[in-house]
Amino acid sequence: MVLNPQEESLRETVVSRESEELRFEAGAALRQSSLWRDALRRFTHNRGALIAMVAFLIMLLYVVVTPWIVPYDPNNVDFSASYLTPTWSHPFGTDQFGRDLFLRTALGGRISIGIGFAATVAIMVIGILYGAISGFVGGWLDNGMMRILDALYGLPYLPFAIITLAIFGTVNFWTMVVALTVASWFTTARVMRGQIITLKENDYVRSARAIGARWNRILFRHLLPNTLGLVIVFVFLELPGVVLGEAFLSFLGLGINPPNASWGSLAQDGYTQYLSHPHIIVIPSVAIAWLILSAFFIADGLRDALDPRTEGAA
Amino acid sequence: MLKFVVRRVLWTIPIILLVIFMTFLMMRAIKGSPFRKSERAVPPAVLENLNRKFGLDKPWYRQYFQYVENVATLDLGPSLVLRNQDVNSIVKEHFPISAELGGLAMLLAIVVGVPLGILAALRANKVTDYLLMLFANLGFAVPSFLVATLFIYFFAAKLGWFPTNGWGSASSKVLPVVALSLGPLTYFARIVRGQMLETLQQDYVRTAKAKGLRWRRIVTVHVLRNSLIPAVTAAGPLLGFLVTGSFIIENIFAIPGIGRYYVTSVSGRDYSTVMGITVLLAILIIVANLVVDILYGYLDPRTREQRT
Repeated sequence: MVLNPQEESLRETVVSRESEELRFEAGAALRQSSLWRDALRRFTHNRGALIAMVAFLIMLLYVVVTPWIVPYDPNNVDFSASYLTPTWSHPFGTDQFGRDLFLRTALGGRISIGIGFAATVAIMVIGILYGAISGFVGGWLDNGMMRILDALYGLPYLPFAIITLAIFGTVNFWTMVVALTVASWFTTARVMRGQIITLKENDYVRSARAIGARWNRILFRHLLPNTLGLVIVFVFLELPGVVLGEAFLSFLGLGINPPNASWGSLAQDGYTQYLSHPHIIVIPSVAIAWLILSAFFIADGLRDALDPRTEGAA
Repeated sequence: MLKFVVRRVLWTIPIILLVIFMTFLMMRAIKGSPFRKSERAVPPAVLENLNRKFGLDKPWYRQYFQYVENVATLDLGPSLVLRNQDVNSIVKEHFPISAELGGLAMLLAIVVGVPLGILAALRANKVTDYLLMLFANLGFAVPSFLVATLFIYFFAAKLGWFPTNGWGSASSKVLPVVALSLGPLTYFARIVRGQMLETLQQDYVRTAKAKGLRWRRIVTVHVLRNSLIPAVTAAGPLLGFLVTGSFIIENIFAIPGIGRYYVTSVSGRDYSTVMGITVLLAILIIVANLVVDILYGYLDPRTREQRT
């Protein structure tokens, strides 16, 4: 997203105000967190990112709180109440078994977002490890590891996710997480390697090396902490893809077993009755779109906030 | 340039072997024999014969090398479940449909997405830009199964303009192609817009402006040429996009393509078919990446060194 000129000047004033403060506190110890305070200030000045953050939190709130306050049983079958259109007592209506969709969408969200976050963490861990080893060690190892990544890059994750689920034989929360991680960490690893290589050239790393710091200190004290900003951005970049991947698998009937449901399986439920009751597929799909869009704009805002030099392409 | 191409092509071979190996290991890790799931118990002697017939009694590395050899000679082996079909004939029957669906969707994505991206960049931060980017973001976020279902609901069921499913007449292809292309289309639009905005800030554009060139000429000669080249690289990942999307779209529109067949094969434990299709798709994408890389190296010589 490109910034408009006003925002640019706003940013400059923020930066200059910051440096004035620094001069004012010249005697005080330089706080390490000033980078983060800077970033926070930039983030909160970015209207789009703030709206996205609020939307994201609303979704989390809905997903977490609803099951506590809605007086229905999510799996209670009541055919007399089936296919109700949205009303005040059932804001999203009911499905073919008369189950309340406001509640089931929230519970589905818990599963979808839960799987999304768990798989994102797994992707980050593998990506960071792979990227850090490749970038830090360098040489032929780096060459080989990157060659493999180059090749795997762009492979569709869906067939490999489907095969992984077949290997496990059962579909539950954790097998789903593994399936969605297997073929999704390539981009993260590549970006992490690039970041580590860039950081390695910094003067403070050379100085650390010059005074005899060992590799583990350089890696864990100087390099990895400095990738944190990028890691946070990538969490919000990966999350949408994983949530969508889970939805696709569930939609194909390869998701979590009923009566539990994720957004994808709710959508699949709705798909079977789209002619008579189109709202049933729309609700979970809109929830997915809501989450994806808000995560995407948060990532965008974070990227701009953490690294003002790259006003990255959307 | 020749050296670059040769090295790049040679590198592809171990990569394809690696992917086949990974797929092979994954397929072996799946529990349960395909022959055990039939209703009647199969006598042990018959089971042994079946295993021998399909080479499942040999050690794993022999099976792997046999498989690589077969793939190299374009033979994907017999289907383990459908007695009278081999994987080649299954691919031959279903793949062209998927290829047509994907090809048409890709074409539509380029023909519509690229101009939209150019338009958005030239109108940056104006109403047109905002509307286009809203559309692009929605196209990225709204799951394809909702788009496809709504298409069917409105254009097929309510208005009756197109058939609800199937793949045959030209009118039956409209809805699935448009639904599948929406994701790549908006992706292209975003990439092209981002590239254009970056190029517009280059010094040579300012120079061109300063020496009084007409704006139209600056855009067509300086900006477009330098912006569209990087967009070429988007074509590689997009193919993976299309494969994933086609699994969903083929399912919804009941199109007898390879993606729909894949899902049934997995639940039927038809290893050789699943593996054949996976390997085929992987090779397709690796080769596409290769072509994109070479094309990119040709269009922008600066990248040859980095990408050897």
